[in-house]
Amino acid sequence: MSIPRPRLPQPARSVVALVALALLLAGCAALEPPAAVTAQGQDTRDLYDFVFIIAVVIFFLVEGLIVFAALRYRRKPTDTELPPQIHGNSVLEVLWTVIPTLIVVIMFVFSWQTLNKVDAVSPSPALTVRAVAAQFQWQFDYLAPDGQTVQFTQQAPELDLPVGVDVHVILRSKDVIHAFYVPKFLFKRDVVPGRENNFDFTIDPNDVNQSFRGQCAEFCGTFHSTMLFTVKALSPADFKTWLDQQIATAASTPAPSPAASGGTGGTGGGGGAATGPTLDLTAHNIAYDQATLSAPAGQPFVIKFTNNDPGVTHNVAITDSTGQQVFKGEIFSGPDSRSYPIPALPAGTYTFACSVHPQMTGTLTVH
Amino acid sequence: MATTTLRTTAGYRTGLYDWLTTTDHKKIGILYLANSILMFLIGGLFALVVRVELAQPGLQFLTDAQYNQAFTIHASLMLFLFVIPVLAGFGNYITPLMIGAPDMAFPRINAFSFWLLPLAAIVMLSGFATGGGAAAAGWTEYSPLAQAKYEGIGTDLWIVALLLIGTSSILGSINFIVTIFKMRAPGMTLLRMPVMVWTMLVTSILVLMATPVLTSALIMLFIDRNLGGHFFDPANGGNAILWQNTFWFYSHPAVYIMVLPAMGIISEVLPVFSRKPLFGYKAFVFATAAIGALGFSVWAHHMFTTGAVYLPFFSFMTFLIAIPTGVKFFNWIATMFRGQLTFSTPLLYAIGFLTMFLIGGINGAFSAAVPVDFALHDTYWVVAHIHYVLFGGSVFAVFAGLFYWWPKMFGRKLNETLGKIQFVFMFIGFNLTFFPMHILGLSGMPRRIADYDPNAGWNDLNLLATIGGFTIAFSILPFLWNVFITFRSGEPAGDDPWEGNTLEWATSSPPPPYNFDHLPEIRSERPVFDARHGASHA
Repeated sequence: MSIPRPRLPQPARSVVALVALALLLAGCAALEPPAAVTAQGQDTRDLYDFVFIIAVVIFFLVEGLIVFAALRYRRKPTDTELPPQIHGNSVLEVLWTVIPTLIVVIMFVFSWQTLNKVDAVSPSPALTVRAVAAQFQWQFDYLAPDGQTVQFTQQAPELDLPVGVDVHVILRSKDVIHAFYVPKFLFKRDVVPGRENNFDFTIDPNDVNQSFRGQCAEFCGTFHSTMLFTVKALSPADFKTWLDQQIATAASTPAPSPAASGGTGGTGGGGGAATGPTLDLTAHNIAYDQATLSAPAGQPFVIKFTNNDPGVTHNVAITDSTGQQVFKGEIFSGPDSRSYPIPALPAGTYTFACSVHPQMTGTLTVH
Repeated sequence: MATTTLRTTAGYRTGLYDWLTTTDHKKIGILYLANSILMFLIGGLFALVVRVELAQPGLQFLTDAQYNQAFTIHASLMLFLFVIPVLAGFGNYITPLMIGAPDMAFPRINAFSFWLLPLAAIVMLSGFATGGGAAAAGWTEYSPLAQAKYEGIGTDLWIVALLLIGTSSILGSINFIVTIFKMRAPGMTLLRMPVMVWTMLVTSILVLMATPVLTSALIMLFIDRNLGGHFFDPANGGNAILWQNTFWFYSHPAVYIMVLPAMGIISEVLPVFSRKPLFGYKAFVFATAAIGALGFSVWAHHMFTTGAVYLPFFSFMTFLIAIPTGVKFFNWIATMFRGQLTFSTPLLYAIGFLTMFLIGGINGAFSAAVPVDFALHDTYWVVAHIHYVLFGGSVFAVFAGLFYWWPKMFGRKLNETLGKIQFVFMFIGFNLTFFPMHILGLSGMPRRIADYDPNAGWNDLNLLATIGGFTIAFSILPFLWNVFITFRSGEPAGDDPWEGNTLEWATSSPPPPYNFDHLPEIRSERPVFDARHGASHA
């Protein structure tokens, strides 16, 4: 019951072949990593390009042979006799063992050389940062030149770094395995509990004032996809200013007492008694339960914030329409709650967000 | 090895009772295949669930927890309850026939090996009925995430299921090794065995050497979770990386367990449909053995980013394993060269295997270059790689094998037109789904994320992959219809519909219990070809 297959007419077959070839070439062209923004990433990119060229040549050679054989050696109605029964050819077989061996040895040597560059760690880095990963948040400790003392802990998932100098990163996990991954670095390294991984990189000065997306790359539990962070590349001068300012702010702000319900920054987040109308807001599963809040203008009010994520830290920070932060609530671990006293705000639209999980946002309307 | 008198199925064993109690390797093989294909369909549904959720950013249909269970169970079903057993099913059905044996060496152990698998599937899937849901830490169940502190009882059920599957594999491998060494027909020397049998032999040795290591690791993880052990728990003096070493010491050879018999199927199909012998038979056998041996020295290439691996060694060994694989490719292509190719469905799937598995080999070489792996590891690139190997490779070979041996198993040929329609949709759907994942991975999309940033530039390619996923699902419909109509009114096949080479084509379709009335003389790896054409062509 096999049905004679209608063959496509010649022009149609050419069109099919051309479309297939165009798709292949487009596919190849799309296989491009992002432009590397670190010196080490550039080395990796050079290696990628080398492997890619070999891969493309082998791909077209072998696929070409397969397609050629499939088209050329179809059985014809006149093929009643058996084709020549060839069992092998020693010369050919030795050739296609030896040549691939040479190719992979060359690839190995080049990749080993690149590895030694990418993996190299400077004995005297310009800056040492310790990235501390936990379900489901990043924080970054900026260490003093001794490599031990914490000068300042950035609780927001934002890693500000100077360009053009050697940065040393130490990785530490508080719970499960995570991975520090910045796609534009063309690099990731696992954050393994019980061991301290570290690596160096130098951000290209041309990429100053750029931001790069970072993300946990090793599956770390329920809300793995929320473990985002951002790398900000600053000029060394700007970075120094920024870091000094952060260290000064951290020194001048007393650590919040556990019972206190108050903001640690912004205007008027002093920790006084909570007054005014109370708005309820809850965080659960790395999300707020409400996307919009509204409050009266010109009078203080209270956000009673409940964090229902065990072991995960959240807070509420409010920014005005110009991006200026007007309130930042204390960051604390769930399950727990705080009453944040919000100062009087002029009427307008504000954004509230979690400092630890910037993807948790909502709109606060003051009227 | 006791030989008994040839005895057909006892009269009281009929119908369902016969299938439930059979020790006939052919029926057990068919049970393996049927159970595996059922698992393929269920695993495929989980894949669709994953693809539907990823089609656009934001969580539309699932919670994060449900998403994590979906991808964990998808991979666990596909790897442990579909790819490995489906190939064991082909091996079970075809190995005794190919070596001229009446059955497997240990028929009752063979039945036991099979029946552990549906039990394991029930145990694994019963996780969905527990409060915390099914296992959700990924099919790799990395510790500490797999510890009781983080994951619920679904993980215990997953461990038990894998222990059952592992036991099944170990028993099966012993059975294959003994059968192949002790039960070959007179004249069937080792170097006259069909390549399919060679791949089953090497696979069985891999299973026998690797699976006990996984079994030990699983028991240790179970002790960690339930009995206060701390083998893999760094918070209490254990070692998180130890789990990865033991897990991959099994699970990397497992990739070859999932691919070598597929290569065996291709090596049977290509010569028959080219009307030529396999080019370089001995090289092929040595390449198979080399892949098996090298397969034990590359496990840590899954762990390059842990910082706990001696990188140059595992990088070099990983590059080396490309060589025997390359030899096989050239042998396959040379088999087609100057042949007379008949484009029946099995050949179509075999060529599908060649074109797609090649990509799975090439994109794997990127990860052998360690710094490139630092960029690509745990991204969608790796998801693309594994699917080009296991779907583009193994699944295409499974369909080649099904269309090729179906006439032998059931005496009727599957419909060729439906088979070709299925192939076209599956081939296009496969590439639509998995090719874009290379690009997603390069641009930084990590695997195993339930949601992604709508501004990351990943929306279109994810939608495309989802459309491809549904195209693959659609391609299964003509197959199911094909099976249905073939059982009802398929074209009778005769004993040897494809002009086969190997001994299974020398008996009736389907073969009688204990397989053969008489055997042709065995003077080469193609005894049935020799009998058809005379020794002058051999």
